[in-house]
Amino acid sequence: MASIVHTEEVMGTVVSFHADAPGMTEAELAASVTAATALLHGDDETFSLWKPESPLSRLRRGELRLEDAPAEVAEVLDLCEAAGTLSQGWFNAFAMPGGVDPTGLVKGWSLERALAVLVDAGVTSAMLNGGGDVVCHGTPPQGGPWLIGVRHPWRLDALAAVLEVERAIATSGEYERGRHLVDPIGRIGPRPASATVTGPSLTLADALATAVAVGGDDALEVVASLDGYDAYLIRADGSEAATEGIRFSVADPDGRD
Amino acid sequence: MKRAAIAVVAAVGGFAGVLGFNLGGSRAPLLQGATGSNTGSNTGTNPGSSTGSNPPATSSSSSSSSSSSGSPSSPGSTTASGSGTPATGLRSALGNTYQYGYGQLAVRVTVNGSTITKVDTVGLQTAESYSQQIAQQVIPLLRHEVLAAQSARVNGFSGATYTSEAYLYSLQSALDKLHKK
Repeated sequence: MASIVHTEEVMGTVVSFHADAPGMTEAELAASVTAATALLHGDDETFSLWKPESPLSRLRRGELRLEDAPAEVAEVLDLCEAAGTLSQGWFNAFAMPGGVDPTGLVKGWSLERALAVLVDAGVTSAMLNGGGDVVCHGTPPQGGPWLIGVRHPWRLDALAAVLEVERAIATSGEYERGRHLVDPIGRIGPRPASATVTGPSLTLADALATAVAVGGDDALEVVASLDGYDAYLIRADGSEAATEGIRFSVADPDGRD
Repeated sequence: MKRAAIAVVAAVGGFAGVLGFNLGGSRAPLLQGATGSNTGSNTGTNPGSSTGSNPPATSSSSSSSSSSSGSPSSPGSTTASGSGTPATGLRSALGNTYQYGYGQLAVRVTVNGSTITKVDTVGLQTAESYSQQIAQQVIPLLRHEVLAAQSARVNGFSGATYTSEAYLYSLQSALDKLHKK
């Protein structure tokens, strides 16, 4: 049973890989992780807004036409448009200062591509965590669903909840990096503290978490209407709300120390 | 001004309401944070808890200060001996110490085999005035005992995107360290 834990600094954060592959050698598994990290770095080169010469930065400055950019740019912008529609406008990559900004979606999209590299290579169980956005494949080592702790927005070491996750979970909020989200609609009232979305695609979950982080309860209702997607919101006052499909993991009394 | 500091602080245990998960409720508030009557502690009954009285957030600064002023060996940290013997499979890893406005802290995760058995902060030096301030925030916070119970078996952590630097003191970082060979 080959097994690996790897961390990769990329996209301004750290991506953690946890993967198991009974049918692969350690060397094969390591090679697949190397290929997956190369893909993440490649996507970062394409989409980084911190790199002035990235295709996306040049596109925003009008120095590069969409048809001349790597094909991934058009693909991601199409996904942004779809996410905008599905979120009923609460996620809007085209209403950002400085031009189109797919930042709220592209990390989730890239992590899914990286996971696909591992799965194609034969990995049967994996979790990729890109700075707090998580995508899972197969069954975790302990069996059952993946159990993902949602960080408490005001405490570094505390969890607000533990959720059972089948595939993808993304959380958005302004407690880590300060006020950086743009509300494309303009809601009255304080920003939510933390917005978590689960679902079958990390690309969409990532965008929807951004949407709920600015849209609060209104955006939560939108997520509730989407098949397979659920949201867990911690409001500015610390009160909470969750859609029907959110599965809170109840602590096992025997698991206590 | 103080709000910014709260965002990065891992403060002290023992003063907080416990989340009461309403598993059946659809989109119902899971906890009324503003009332201070945190009675829905169905996940919080922890018989062995040393701070089991679960006081309202606003009246518990005394219990919080007692655990905050303690050094690394605070009452809840029975696994403080870090380098657990391989025979029991008990190991713990300490994240980097993080300096914040009111002191410094580090997150420590303890595992038994592949199971997280404890998450806590050590090296926490918190000004008394700080715990007063945070105690006045009417916020549902978890007690460490509940946190430890909930953290067992967790495979990963979701949260707002951290920077590469912030990763170093994240729970995910401590977990990654433990599972790396």
